[in-house]
Amino acid sequence: MDGIKEDAIHNTALKLAEEIKNLSIYKSFYSDIQKLVSSPNVKKEDFKQSLQEAMKEKGLDTKLRNTVYHWVRTQSKNNKLDPLTCLSKASSQWEKRIHKSLNSMCSDLETSLAKLRPQSEQDDIAEKWNELSTYSLDLSKYRPVYAPKDFLEVLLTLSGYVPFTREDEPKWEFAHLPLQVKTLDQLRKEYPEWASGEPLLGANPESRCALGGGALGAERAALGARVSALRYAPVAQEFLKRGSPHCLRAGLWAQVLGVEITPHQTANFNQLKKSVLEVDLMIDKLIFKDVQLTASNDDQYFVFEDLLYQVMLCFSRDGEILQQLKGCVGSALTVTIKGKQTSPDNTTVFPPSGIIPFHGFSMYATPFCYLYDEPVQLYYTFRAFYIRYWHRLHNISTHPQGIVSLCLLYERLLEANEPLLWIHFKNINIHPVRVVFKWLMRAFSGHLPPDQLLFLWDAILGYDSLDILPLLAVAILSFRKENIFQVNTIQNVDAVLADLSTISIVPLLQLALMKP
Amino acid sequence: MNPDSKKLAASFYGRVNAPIVERCRVNFCTDLEKSVLMSNFERRGWHQVSPDDEWNFYWASTQTCRNLFSVESGYRMNDNQMINHFPNHYELSRKDLLVKNIKRYRKELEREGNPLAEKAEVVLQGGQVVTRYVHLDFVPVTFVLPADYNMFVEEYRKSPQSTWIMKPCGKSQGTGIFLINKLSKLKKWSREAKAPFHPQLTKESYVISRYIDNPLLIGGKKFDLRLYVLVTSFRPLKAYLFQLGFCRFCTVKYDTSVTELDNMYVHLTNVSVQKHGGDYNSIHGGKMSVQNLKLYLEGTRGKAVTDKLFAAMQWLIVHSLKAVSSVMANDRHCFECYGYDIIIDNQLKPWLVEVNASPSLTSTTVNDRILKYKLIDNILSVVLPPEGVPDVRWNKQPNVEALGNFDLLIDEELMEKDEQTSASNRGHKSHKNRTT
Repeated sequence: MDGIKEDAIHNTALKLAEEIKNLSIYKSFYSDIQKLVSSPNVKKEDFKQSLQEAMKEKGLDTKLRNTVYHWVRTQSKNNKLDPLTCLSKASSQWEKRIHKSLNSMCSDLETSLAKLRPQSEQDDIAEKWNELSTYSLDLSKYRPVYAPKDFLEVLLTLSGYVPFTREDEPKWEFAHLPLQVKTLDQLRKEYPEWASGEPLLGANPESRCALGGGALGAERAALGARVSALRYAPVAQEFLKRGSPHCLRAGLWAQVLGVEITPHQTANFNQLKKSVLEVDLMIDKLIFKDVQLTASNDDQYFVFEDLLYQVMLCFSRDGEILQQLKGCVGSALTVTIKGKQTSPDNTTVFPPSGIIPFHGFSMYATPFCYLYDEPVQLYYTFRAFYIRYWHRLHNISTHPQGIVSLCLLYERLLEANEPLLWIHFKNINIHPVRVVFKWLMRAFSGHLPPDQLLFLWDAILGYDSLDILPLLAVAILSFRKENIFQVNTIQNVDAVLADLSTISIVPLLQLALMKP
Repeated sequence: MNPDSKKLAASFYGRVNAPIVERCRVNFCTDLEKSVLMSNFERRGWHQVSPDDEWNFYWASTQTCRNLFSVESGYRMNDNQMINHFPNHYELSRKDLLVKNIKRYRKELEREGNPLAEKAEVVLQGGQVVTRYVHLDFVPVTFVLPADYNMFVEEYRKSPQSTWIMKPCGKSQGTGIFLINKLSKLKKWSREAKAPFHPQLTKESYVISRYIDNPLLIGGKKFDLRLYVLVTSFRPLKAYLFQLGFCRFCTVKYDTSVTELDNMYVHLTNVSVQKHGGDYNSIHGGKMSVQNLKLYLEGTRGKAVTDKLFAAMQWLIVHSLKAVSSVMANDRHCFECYGYDIIIDNQLKPWLVEVNASPSLTSTTVNDRILKYKLIDNILSVVLPPEGVPDVRWNKQPNVEALGNFDLLIDEELMEKDEQTSASNRGHKSHKNRTT
């Protein structure tokens, strides 16, 4: 028995060693180890022991552990091909629709998807790179390719593929989809710290405005400083479960996501900037338009407008995103760059990131402005967050963390735990997901005040799960149910739920997760 | 409520002879029919009357208030009347008097040998060494013109490359303000100011202050803070700070180059100025909440420096109030809500720019309206005794619940009491020690 187990460990170790060799850090890591071996700290007679100690001392041990941690995380998310063919079909149809709409917008506006930027324009953008809000563009004819509302319509047709057998079955449930979602009891097991009523940061709404933050704040700050100094990703992740002090969040999030700003990263970012300058993609105007429509009009984010233009434009040029999300998002367009000599490299993947922004897309990035004022740092943490989570919120898949499963989870939670609300929605013939879909799709960004939003995203990183989004949606509905019972149109329900500025998410979620 | 139902309600609650509605009846009077004021008065069920009627609560303009208190008016307020200004609020709100009072306050402390008045030498950007107060250096170096012209020139010569800002003493909302970086420009102005044949036409007085040319920028833009401070008494000093202040951003990137010196959209954060700029956004009005500023600073700069900044702002407010407390006419009928304008420099040091005795109650955005509605609501609940009717005999110690979004900044009466009790406790203890 032990022998088998040891063999298994041995095989895993071999596989890991092979995998690590393929990672980008391998070369520098290996040479660091070589340097260490030749140092007097490592003794020939006690090689293993002394090398391990020396590695610990130099921090290479933590680096290796973090590498394994991040590698394991990337593995688990690469799930097999979509088992529900209908969803993959719907997904590719939706994708085609987006591409078609992009193309028709292009021909309507008599422009092309990709063209070389004339030198004068390049100089202009380069000069205004730090204040792109002053870069004048006529965007009056540009419209977002799609809005959360449009995406929801597509999702709602998904359930239509099963023929209705019974009269009384409502036509608007996701329940027909053969997907497994958790129950509230299962969620309680997923969030044990919250469910058992442990003290959480942000749980005391009074401390929100107060200058101090109370005893818990001081305790978390002291512990957090130690965790942060440890630089060991799994510990940082564990710490985030109970909420991070605002001042440590920037560092802890980067640790959990494995973001480290090296000269290589900075150079890479500058390269992305260069490609923004060189090639004019139609998507740039959509990005400008989106920031203008969302962040620029938002009192919480308008000051960061210029930073967001930079980050979102570079994001669209980043081929690594497409690379890392292969199989998770659909295939991208390939288009010819107008104005370039006919040669093998006159085509480009459009956009290089493979991600076509929708109305509100920039809101995935805006909250990071409260953590990083350097565009490079902001960019890489946002990108890592996107690759790990946000792409699931606007792509059709059967992944348990995908938007379809989250919608279904929301429905099941509502039906099981707020049956009266469920019946009310049924009576007034409003699909319950309609009133919360924009929250789910944007992970509440722009809907909650930033301090609350950051606590919510702490929990996403800490528990490595988006399940908290539908749970919060149900908790808010439950909190406002008396007012919802009073109204019977979608406009009025929206009005009841429009202002979330007074919501304290931690106590609300904890209340939902604690046993009655 | 008709009499029958009132009776019913009274018996229902078991209080037969307590006609609550009558007892709480407050007659109010106002010069500004701003909706944030009116809706608050209405919500409290107050009754509007004209200034000539019997009023309990007057939300007046500073002018009306001065007239009421003037000797000529001969108006005497009774115990159940209250008004929203102190008669000589200008000691704090006029730019020249504020500076004069702060200078005097520092001198007094220095004479007493108070450690607060400690001085130290600091090195300016140009390398000159000047002596500054360590703890009370919270207003930029300022002179009144034309009176202090010679003193100004002396200071100017110490660092001729710095920029100065000229503001007319009696104006507000950014009118009449300009920047100066050459003495010649000021000389020209002063020549024009002194019209030798019409001495009565001399231009109004100005203050000239060292311009904070290294402001903290967020997103490349300059901003200032508007904080609300409520004072219910000057002797003993009782003051409260409203948590929901906001930052006012310029719409244009900050630029210190000489060519932009005359571009007021770069330098002045006043909404009344920024509103006319092409980039003004009417949804947020260039305003961000102080809570979000704090969140941003904690997230990007750390907690220690952020806490220090916010403590320094409270310090600045308390000492600016202490500086005027001895000269303020401390009428028991008065309270006042001040709009503090503060600029933070890139070393995270706050500077007091000016104090407004009638901060704008106009709402430029939805959030603005919510904030100002809460401000008025909280002011009313702090200044009124728990029974809800103005009464000068009340000790002006509101309950914690009545504070709403106000934090207590200072209450000298409470401090004195605390000192007494702790002193007597100490005395008790030592007595005990002796007996054992």
